[in-house]
Amino acid sequence: MNAPKLIFAFIGRKPLTWAFHALTLALGVAVVTALLLLSRSLNDRFDKDLAGVDLVVGAKGSPLQLILSTVFALDTPTGNIPLRTAQTLERFPLFKVVVPVSLGDSVGGYRIVGTQPSYGQLYDARIASGAWWTRPMQVTVGAEAARQLHMHLGQVFAGAHGLATGGELHADTPYTVVGILQPTGTIIDRLVLTDTASVWRVHEQEAVKQEGLTPDEASSHREVTALMIKYRSALGAVMAPRLIQQEPGLQAAVPAIEMARLNSLLGAGTQVLQDFGWGLLALSALGFFVALVSAVSQRRRELALLRALGARPALLFGLIAGEGLMLGLLGGIVGLGLGRAAAAVAAAVSTHSGGPALAVPSFGAADLAILGGAAALSLAASVLPGLLAYRLNASLALQGA
Amino acid sequence: MLVVSGLTAAYGGRPVARLAGLTLAPGQAALILGPSGSGKTSLLLAMAGLVDIHAGGVRIGDTDIGALSLAQRDRYRGRNIGLVFQDIHLIPGLSTLDNLLLAPYAAGLPQDVRRALALLEQLGLGDKAARPAQTLSRGQAQRAAIARAMLMQPKLILADEPTASLDDDACRVVGDLLTSAAAETGAMLLIATHDHRLKARIPTVVAAEPVAAGEAA
Repeated sequence: MNAPKLIFAFIGRKPLTWAFHALTLALGVAVVTALLLLSRSLNDRFDKDLAGVDLVVGAKGSPLQLILSTVFALDTPTGNIPLRTAQTLERFPLFKVVVPVSLGDSVGGYRIVGTQPSYGQLYDARIASGAWWTRPMQVTVGAEAARQLHMHLGQVFAGAHGLATGGELHADTPYTVVGILQPTGTIIDRLVLTDTASVWRVHEQEAVKQEGLTPDEASSHREVTALMIKYRSALGAVMAPRLIQQEPGLQAAVPAIEMARLNSLLGAGTQVLQDFGWGLLALSALGFFVALVSAVSQRRRELALLRALGARPALLFGLIAGEGLMLGLLGGIVGLGLGRAAAAVAAAVSTHSGGPALAVPSFGAADLAILGGAAALSLAASVLPGLLAYRLNASLALQGA
Repeated sequence: MLVVSGLTAAYGGRPVARLAGLTLAPGQAALILGPSGSGKTSLLLAMAGLVDIHAGGVRIGDTDIGALSLAQRDRYRGRNIGLVFQDIHLIPGLSTLDNLLLAPYAAGLPQDVRRALALLEQLGLGDKAARPAQTLSRGQAQRAAIARAMLMQPKLILADEPTASLDDDACRVVGDLLTSAAAETGAMLLIATHDHRLKARIPTVVAAEPVAAGEAA
């Protein structure tokens, strides 16, 4: 004979009631868990992909769009900026790192990014096999892109125009795979990197062929899409954005600001869901409370019998609190499982439908905290019912009053 | 030895019943007789330390129940007093065996499964040990409760209306069962009842006197 046996004997009489209460708790926990996991993995993803970039400079347009397209490979670019401007900025003394990004083509849905090897340094990317490109039309492929596209060293492929699949192929200017990167867990895994000059070559070739320009004419308007910049010092943050905003056709977008704006945009919806989750939790705590109060009054005589057998009032309190705790843990564990499953599904959908590639954080302290929270909530809900049991007038209950 | 003298049971300072005096030696049995509402049960529960002792005293061996703190009364009851009630016998959802073991569990004592099984066997419930309590008949449940009262080898067994609403045969069986249970464990037996049929089995009788509201104890 032990306390769990006794608690199960009590619960077993109203399995549906208790299942219902455990389920309400589980749903509340699931909603809160899923949202926390998703927002954490989204923040992780953005943090990693941002790789400490302080400023993105590109063509005028939406600053958020500029950042999404340049840093996170999510949106379409706002336009291009002249190469000459880019070269001026590269020499700007306030900047420590300036990485050019040229977008426009893709292969199998993965973006081809014309840039410099400094792009790889941003993400601490290392070669798994082969090497970084040394000449235009050579590519070094991110780990995931290489795996999904079954790319191998020496492979030759044509880029497709546009960032989505199904664009027109640039068959005259094929790329050659010279290197494959190790996985980094950042956006670079999903990119095909090449020299900035490759992008010019592909598009100048097209211009000569289709619009009848001379090669010189075609190469006179060279452009890049955007620049990712890290400051040398805090002074950069003060001066650079203002200087750049004065240039016609240029804009400087600060990722920190834009990501905060994005968060507040998404936040409204997330907040509603999260409040809904907290509401469910509060409701389930109230349900526990009501159910336990009525359970104590239904079991008065049995609890009194325990007193008659010598049980201290504290034992009765413990039985009620134990019952609450057991249901709280059950609801918490089921809810955590449901929440994790929902987050995993949402992350997979996002990853495979062109959204950010989300990785749900593995089981850790946060999950234990959620379980602890569910347990604490159910314990809190059982304090008053437990006190009712503690203060039970055994002699009256035994006489049928 | 049980010595009751001028015991007045009270709820919240309001006396409800009085028992002038009673002395039992180990192995002896007595009835507290009185009509319904005379406060027999309250007196019984007062001896068990579950109802306030307003006046007078209860001594079991060397222990003065009235002098114990509430926690000490719980402890003393769990170790020395076996209680059998009129209709609250077992907790459904637990096996018959577990219902017996509730006594040592509630008292925080080691659980002697073998002795519990032997007692069930002895009372003809050997085949019910593993069965859920709710599958037992009323009579079987009462027998299991008597087995539980014997389990802790108490000094005193207190039974509240154990034969109410039983026919003559069943009444005799329960009377025999309780007296032999007490005899076997060397316990004193006190039965609160309005059932005069038990007098044939247990001739020692004391009367419960109701205390009317406002009457001084």
